Amino acid sequence: MIHLLQIDISKAVNEVENAGSYLPIAIQLLLVVGLIGLMLLASHKLGPKRNTSDKLEGFACGIESHGDARKPMAIKYFLVAVLFVLFDVEVIFFYPYALSFKQLGWDGFWAVMMFVGFFLCGFIYIIKKGALQWED
Amino acid sequence: MNALIVTAVLGVMMMFSSIVLKRNSAIRMLAIVGLLFTFIANVLDSSGVHFFSINIKGMMHFDQFAYFFISISIFCTFIFFLLSAKEMERIGVNYSEYFALIFFILCGIILVASFTSLLILFLGIEIISIPLYILTGSDKKNLKSNEASLKYFLLGAFSTGIMLMGIALFYGSTGSFSVENSVVIAATTSPMLLIGILLLLFSMSFKVSAAPFHFWAPDVYDGAPTVFTSFMATIVKAAAFIAFIRLFSLAFTPLQDRWQLIVAVIIALTLFVGNITAVFQQSVKRMLAYSSIAQSGFMLMALLAFNTFSVEGILLYIVAYSISTMGIFSVLVKMKDSSLEEFNGFAKHQPVLAVALTVFLLSLAGIPLTAGFLSKFYMLKAVMHSGNFLWLIIFAVLMAAVSVYYYFRIIQVMFFKESDSNTIIVSTSFKWLLSALAIIIIVLGVYPQLLLQFLV
Amino acid sequence: MIALLLVLLPLITGVATFFLRKENAAKKLALLSSLATMVISILGLTLFNKTELLQFSADWLPGLGTKFDIRLDGMGQLLCLLTAISFPLIFISTWQRTYKNAHNFFALMLLAQAGLMGVFLAMDALVFYFFWELALIPVYFLCSMWGGEKRIAATFKFFIYTFAGSVLMLVALIYLQTQTVDHSFSINSFYQLEIKNDIQNWLFVLMFIAFAIKMPLFPFHTWQPDLYEQSPTSTTMVLSGIMVKMGLFGVIRWLLPTLPSASFAYGETTVAVLAVIGMLYASLLAMRQNDMKRLIAYSSIAHIGLMVIAIFAETQLAMQGVMIQLFSHGINIIGLWIIVEWIERKYGTTKFSELGGLAQKAPVMSILFVVIALANISLPLTNGFVGEFLMFSGIFTSKIFTYQIVITAAAGVCIILSAVYMLRMVQKIIYGNTSAITANATDIGFNEKFALSIIALLILAVGLFPQPILDLTQTTATQILNEANILHLLKK
Repeated sequence: MIHLLQIDISKAVNEVENAGSYLPIAIQLLLVVGLIGLMLLASHKLGPKRNTSDKLEGFACGIESHGDARKPMAIKYFLVAVLFVLFDVEVIFFYPYALSFKQLGWDGFWAVMMFVGFFLCGFIYIIKKGALQWED
Repeated sequence: MNALIVTAVLGVMMMFSSIVLKRNSAIRMLAIVGLLFTFIANVLDSSGVHFFSINIKGMMHFDQFAYFFISISIFCTFIFFLLSAKEMERIGVNYSEYFALIFFILCGIILVASFTSLLILFLGIEIISIPLYILTGSDKKNLKSNEASLKYFLLGAFSTGIMLMGIALFYGSTGSFSVENSVVIAATTSPMLLIGILLLLFSMSFKVSAAPFHFWAPDVYDGAPTVFTSFMATIVKAAAFIAFIRLFSLAFTPLQDRWQLIVAVIIALTLFVGNITAVFQQSVKRMLAYSSIAQSGFMLMALLAFNTFSVEGILLYIVAYSISTMGIFSVLVKMKDSSLEEFNGFAKHQPVLAVALTVFLLSLAGIPLTAGFLSKFYMLKAVMHSGNFLWLIIFAVLMAAVSVYYYFRIIQVMFFKESDSNTIIVSTSFKWLLSALAIIIIVLGVYPQLLLQFLV
Repeated sequence: MIALLLVLLPLITGVATFFLRKENAAKKLALLSSLATMVISILGLTLFNKTELLQFSADWLPGLGTKFDIRLDGMGQLLCLLTAISFPLIFISTWQRTYKNAHNFFALMLLAQAGLMGVFLAMDALVFYFFWELALIPVYFLCSMWGGEKRIAATFKFFIYTFAGSVLMLVALIYLQTQTVDHSFSINSFYQLEIKNDIQNWLFVLMFIAFAIKMPLFPFHTWQPDLYEQSPTSTTMVLSGIMVKMGLFGVIRWLLPTLPSASFAYGETTVAVLAVIGMLYASLLAMRQNDMKRLIAYSSIAHIGLMVIAIFAETQLAMQGVMIQLFSHGINIIGLWIIVEWIERKYGTTKFSELGGLAQKAPVMSILFVVIALANISLPLTNGFVGEFLMFSGIFTSKIFTYQIVITAAAGVCIILSAVYMLRMVQKIIYGNTSAITANATDIGFNEKFALSIIALLILAVGLFPQPILDLTQTTATQILNEANILHLLKK
């Protein structure tokens, strides 16, 4: 898998060596900056200005906000969030594998099995440690 | 390769051991036996018995030096376990996890000792660093430990970023990740390559806590639980050195004249900052943190001059420094706090330990007949042999003379001050172990071939 | 064999003494060991005076180009004899004194002896450096554990001073080694070196600082009076009798022959000037002291100054004079310290103002004291005279000094001053009226009588019949001058 990263990009580097090939990007950049600037300027000039205290408050889906956001909350939420990210990322690795399933053959299969196995170990470990136990 | 996989598997095993094994002593036993097994596996590996045959695609290369260093770090970890594994119980409830993390760190150490590709170097450094962040903060109730952990994490991540940038620039100018002289020779010496090397130099200097990238070290070493400080400041640091030296000796020797002076200046700064600041410390732990910075200065000399002396010297240095520092820390762990007064009259209560500590301190100060002297001697000789940097050698020995001041302060309070009774309790086996380590230091100081013969 | 035994015997018995819990047993073992060492040393001088017996060589750190090579040559014989004689005398004369943790005290003393022996025997620069430091560590512990009130600070100063000096020397030694043809630390390779003048100059500075601190030469002497005052007297005897000789010895054996042109360049311009200043300064200070210990310390600085000048005069006479004086001065000063120790133990003070009139109360002590004091002034018929006379004539006839007359004159003034302060001390202590403290004084005991008589005998023997010592040192002196003397080198 890591071997893929060692591909030779020197050829590609040679082709974009001269500054002229960057011209489209430069035009694009100018356009983007110009357009955004224009839009901001236009809305600032054209729009009506009514400053009320409500408008300066944080907007949370229309629900009235109350209290401080920096409130201590149970560590379990964080734990679940972190674990979710972890296993979510795992799934991402399956997409490229699915695309090259045939080409990689049995070697690839066993490699992915190992990968899944490690994750399974981790999963069992957190279950056993009681990380997902919601009630104490 | 054997040891790499064995440590990884052992790390996972240690994770699960707390579920299976209920008694801490059993977990400890498992860790020690596992480490012994790793040691044997590595020795077998170096003599041609490979447990696994894996195509690593030339990204790692196990030479005799790598095997030898891996054996040394496993051995030192073994000593660390024997000396301080029991003390880890006092830090928190996750006893088995600490062992698991240490095994993972060992795994990373093996990677950085044998890499031939920058990717593996990066991987190894990260595998070493991340468990260390956790170990630093493992004393959860202690604010200083938390602070140290966060500081270490932020600065560590920052330096890792610099390292990645260096790797990227290196790759950009050479088109390869492999760490070889030929790669560097083939590439034209562009500013990009030089900046890449410079960034790698800086980030590695950070990892070995060389000045002016040392600012994290005192706080982290001071804040972390003492047990883990002793692990961090010795074995992990040694591994970072090996990675540093391996990287620069394998790849960047053709451009030596470009970075040598910078390294020399870094060494001089490190020696100066480490030694001078250590003089003013009142806490032994903090003093040892600065002394470890100061010792880095000497170890970096192996980077300045590559020859047989520096190769032999750095290994001797690592062994001498690790054993002495771990020995001192193992006693410090048992103290109430780490102020200098705790050592008052130590010689009267614990004569055996006091003598052993004296040997360790003499070794760190570089007094003849100890391994510490010979290792410093090897370093000086290596630099002298390379012909340049005489100013650095003279500066270094003067700084070594300064270091005598703070090392001897501990000896003074141990032997020549009276105490107000509070004394530590140690087991007989601990005394024997510490005496054995002191004897090792002296034997290596008289006859270093006992160690270095394995290098051939 | 003899050489190896001289190092090994004190080393092994020293380590063994650590494990003897009884004070008496430790004392006896230490005395026995030191006596055995003395016998071996004398045997090496007389019966087994064959080259193959006097040297020992074994492989040690071949990768670094060093061998464990020790050999007794003429100068080594003399200094080893001094070391071997001193220790039994020290043990006998301080027999009555009791120490806390006596076994450690005697063990460290024996280890110091082993280190000193090694320094005088080493024929390999790294071995020399090893022993140089090895002698220092036990002395450090001896002084800081059993010394006076301000012992820790004084000892620490001494230790840092000497350690800083010796690491600088180490740098020079490593540099010299890389320059040798066969990359070895052996003394012969060092002697064959031919190094460019400008490099020689700074190597000289590096090495000379180490030796100058040890001697001590002005302005590196500040550790000495404090330390002599603070350390236990038996250690002071070792320090002043033998250890300061290490510095001079190092110059003769390692500095002069290895760096001849730098020695020539600095010899008169810097070293001799410093030495003359130091001599005058120390003599003047010695005249104003009210304390025996400090007076002897300063008188020692003054004597050392003369020896340094004589070394750099680079004449046969001066060189032999220095070697003899190294021996004689060691013996004399140990004699003086034995008396100081006895006075301190008996009366609890060494101040002149509190003592006096001992001639009536302790006649034997007084006679021996006068003999030793006169030897220290180098009166004819004493050992001091032989060495100093040779040195004076050597300096005066030196071919490489330009201002030898001035230097000789200045040194002569110091000799006169030495008579002034030594006699003042004798007068204050043994003549005059008895003070409150000395009113009920008694004479010295058998142990002191024995030790002091041996010293007095040695003083007279060397003073009356110096030929054997002259013969002993002749070859070494010639050899060193051959290697060192710039005039010889130019002739070649």
